Amino acid sequence: MPFRRVAVVGAGMTRFMRRALETPKELAFYATRMALDSCELTLKDIDGVILGSAPDAFDGVHRKGEYLIDGAGAFRKPVMRGYVGGGTGVWAVIQGWYHVASGLFDTVLVVCEEKMSSCYPHPQGAFNAIFDHTLERPLGTNLLWIFALEMHRYMATYGITERDIALVSVKNKRNGLDHPCSHVAGNITVDDVLQSEVMAWPVKRLDVSPTSDGAVALVMACEEKARRITHKPVWVEGIGWCLDTSYWTNRDLAYPVYVEKAARMAYKMAGIVDPRKQIDIVEPYDPFDYKELHHLEGLGFARRGEAPDLIASGVANRDGDLPVTPSGGLLGVGNPIAAAGLMKVAEIFWQLRGEAGKRQVPGKPRRGLAQAWGDLMQVGTVVVLGI
Amino acid sequence: MLPLEKPQQVHRALAWQGEIPTYNIYTFGIAGERFFRELKEHGRFLGTRCPACHLLYVPPRIYCERCFASLEEWVEVPGRGTVFTFTLAYYDLDGRRLEHPDILALVRLEGAHGGVLHRLGEVEPGQVAIGMPVEAVLKPPQERRGSILDILYFRPTRR
Repeated sequence: MPFRRVAVVGAGMTRFMRRALETPKELAFYATRMALDSCELTLKDIDGVILGSAPDAFDGVHRKGEYLIDGAGAFRKPVMRGYVGGGTGVWAVIQGWYHVASGLFDTVLVVCEEKMSSCYPHPQGAFNAIFDHTLERPLGTNLLWIFALEMHRYMATYGITERDIALVSVKNKRNGLDHPCSHVAGNITVDDVLQSEVMAWPVKRLDVSPTSDGAVALVMACEEKARRITHKPVWVEGIGWCLDTSYWTNRDLAYPVYVEKAARMAYKMAGIVDPRKQIDIVEPYDPFDYKELHHLEGLGFARRGEAPDLIASGVANRDGDLPVTPSGGLLGVGNPIAAAGLMKVAEIFWQLRGEAGKRQVPGKPRRGLAQAWGDLMQVGTVVVLGI
Repeated sequence: MLPLEKPQQVHRALAWQGEIPTYNIYTFGIAGERFFRELKEHGRFLGTRCPACHLLYVPPRIYCERCFASLEEWVEVPGRGTVFTFTLAYYDLDGRRLEHPDILALVRLEGAHGGVLHRLGEVEPGQVAIGMPVEAVLKPPQERRGSILDILYFRPTRR
């Protein structure tokens, strides 16, 4: 391989919550300091910083990357801001990886922060402006009905029911009960989901993750440094990303081909030919419950239209053969956009090190995958980690 | 029409007039909440000190950006300092010409690292100078909201 091995060596995160009193900078500081402390490093040990954050409009600061740098440990350091909407959390890790893999830096901090509660009357106002201003925005586009259109197409193409999909929300909200940072975890039933308020049919309130505030940080290092920092480095084995057309109207909708392409890139690098057999844990992006299924299919863990079987059979439970979203995910822990994606990578890190506490997947998992998704619902970002 | 020709009369081109329909409510945060409450309720300025870097941050922060220490030592500082730099602004934000210019300055508070951006008052533009000692003039207590505008302006220090 033409590049150096890179490991994740530390992680930290704040609670995810509805309205934080903390400023975005303060949220970033809590997570970053925790990540540094977790591997006993100080700012002097860090060569560069990757900052991930979604639209500036959430925090209401038109230069959010630079604004956050003091809280992200980037004072007088080289900084990169990454931004691919909801895919940002995993994209930031990919950026961290190539800054180290290339030999440019030996150590980087990867910090993702989002404070959606400062955006009024609702972050949907900002989301409205991701759509085409001439063709789509005049209709009052919002994510709920755009997702509803995709979910309906997915259901109709493969004969999937709302009940099949609701099982994902039940599982993830239950898993989230064991996460100390959870915003919206709970023990709910399929009927609770089906009977919750219809927001844009078939999307109901309990099919959707919340808007949250929070931050997550990782420390990444080259092999030589990683081995000195910790006896439990978690290696980046594969990375991949891909964007579909920026015309929402010209996509398949029932199948995320861009996620498949991103996954294939990561699998090739990691030497994975059968992800179902070679990967022990998956953290797919789950802003809506059907998206977890969508992504499991794109990632090659199930054939098209068959991901619901993984959930219904219990295979995807934390003690199942292929634990899916053991963290609780965006549906259970919460969804501060960029931070939520990075939380998924942090979860794989903690799981592979056996440090996931009550969330720990049994059987000493050795390899995990985290995936995020976003922009105009067209980017797939994938990271495979292993020990 | 050439591809790069600009419309001579913009109203004749078809267009949809849109806006990004959001506004923001910004909390002051852990450090800011304490700073502005103290200013509002007691008219006092607070800072936090980094023991390792020997810096006094005013307005305060809960961490030192240089060494990443959590800052827990809160100290009161006087509401006075010196003009570090200033300008005379003859246009407002909407591009309107001002008859009397706004005097805007960066004021370094005594002993503090950093400072505050604010207006200068009770002084003629021609009298302002870099290095000039100034002091904060606050709104009356009942009019303070917990805002940087609870400071009306800085004026030359009266001895």
